[in-house]
Amino acid sequence: MLEEAGFTDITIGEPVDTFGASSGEEKARSFEVYGYAFLARRR
Amino acid sequence: MVESLPVDPDMLREQVQVKYREVALAPDGAYHFHTGRRLAARLGYETAAVDALPDRAVESFAGVGDPFQLRRLEPGERVVDVGSGAGFDSFIAAGQVGPDGHVVGIDMTPEMLEKARCTAAELGLDHVEFREGLAEQLPVDDQWADVVISNGVINLCADKQQVFGEIRRVLRPGGWLQFADIANGRPVPPEALRDIDLWTG
Repeated sequence: MLEEAGFTDITIGEPVDTFGASSGEEKARSFEVYGYAFLARRR
Repeated sequence: MVESLPVDPDMLREQVQVKYREVALAPDGAYHFHTGRRLAARLGYETAAVDALPDRAVESFAGVGDPFQLRRLEPGERVVDVGSGAGFDSFIAAGQVGPDGHVVGIDMTPEMLEKARCTAAELGLDHVEFREGLAEQLPVDDQWADVVISNGVINLCADKQQVFGEIRRVLRPGGWLQFADIANGRPVPPEALRDIDLWTG
């Protein structure tokens, strides 16, 4: 999606357990939801 | 509703606004996500930068990652923070770009904007401002920004192509998009994608 939108040099960071130990943890685990940092450059 | 979108963008926006109004007014309430200083520590923000901020700047923080993890901002850069909330990431950005830079935080929730503006005034930050607006219609001139940041916002927008198109419009050629967001490792069933309640919690 980022490439289609006109971005390049895309980097994705390591997953972060954003929802761990929160009340949303169970739902997050069921779909393997994690937080990520993204970096991209506008073409 | 735009036919290719799984949910009505206006309805989703209303529900998101209700949720984040709560987070602004009652940051210690019961939410399905962490908030505040504990969340910032979990996500790996620099401790000194967070400790330097007053509680009002941090308590309603509800991001999902660290948009500064892969690239530190450079002094003098012009930054747009999409979905700035109570201003946490905007204030971190302000510290990195310094007084020669400029940070524009954009949010659609008046209660968040009020908190952010109060904090900016308290800190005496002339190079940070907050504007009311939508991620899909950013109130920023074409190619104004060197950098666009965002944290946990784009996943809450129904039309992500529109959002990325707007981000591209406000960035100068060669400018950086650095954002944090959630992604799922397992596919979400179509019926769940159409359940607007699941988008916000």
